[in-house]
Amino acid sequence: MQQRPLFPVLRALVEADVKFVLVGGLAAVLNGAPVHTFDIDIVHSREQANVERLLAVLDALDAVFRAQPERRLKPALSHLNGPGHQNLLTRFGPLDVLGSIGRGLVYEDLLVDTALLDIGSGTTIRVLTLEKLIALKEELGGEKDRAVIPILRRTLQEKERGGG
Amino acid sequence: MNPHVDMTPNNRRETHTAGTNEDGVDVTLIRWMLSLDPSERLRFLEERIEDILAVRALNSKA
Repeated sequence: MQQRPLFPVLRALVEADVKFVLVGGLAAVLNGAPVHTFDIDIVHSREQANVERLLAVLDALDAVFRAQPERRLKPALSHLNGPGHQNLLTRFGPLDVLGSIGRGLVYEDLLVDTALLDIGSGTTIRVLTLEKLIALKEELGGEKDRAVIPILRRTLQEKERGGG
Repeated sequence: MNPHVDMTPNNRRETHTAGTNEDGVDVTLIRWMLSLDPSERLRFLEERIEDILAVRALNSKA
């Protein structure tokens, strides 16, 4: 039996040479935090060629806006060129494509706070560090973000003690 | 300005780009989960967990 590929959405982005950083709950989980997450959050480079590659991948993944999935509204270049958040639904599940996070941080700002992670078959992605995830959640200050901060902090402490 | 929590009247109209409420809760994600039946939710969660555990294992071998 053929094995299901790990994280097909992330793999499709890497294979199309889309530059992005994985952020949000999945980045926290892959950094070892025991939190639940269902969507994939990425901050993409808004260089024009990258945005065009990203749009092609989104089209191949049948991505539509999640707010009204029955209308099958597809993202356009204009959505991906801006700093806003596009909450999408692909055939592999939810994907949030973020032009910026926090106080206007863009892809290039985040690179210094990322680590490379192997997602199998020699494919690597850039994942935001736990330290930066905590800093961003502290900055956001929403109820949902505040709720998860103690878990992220404790996970970071355990990692620093050599626990993973 | 943080678009994830910015729910000013101007942004509230852009429901396709600002699906979160003032607490940072993504309502579109909740609605999507509710659109699945329980077995679909479980299958999605299982696949996600399988992927996470496999990637964690890959990156802890070095």
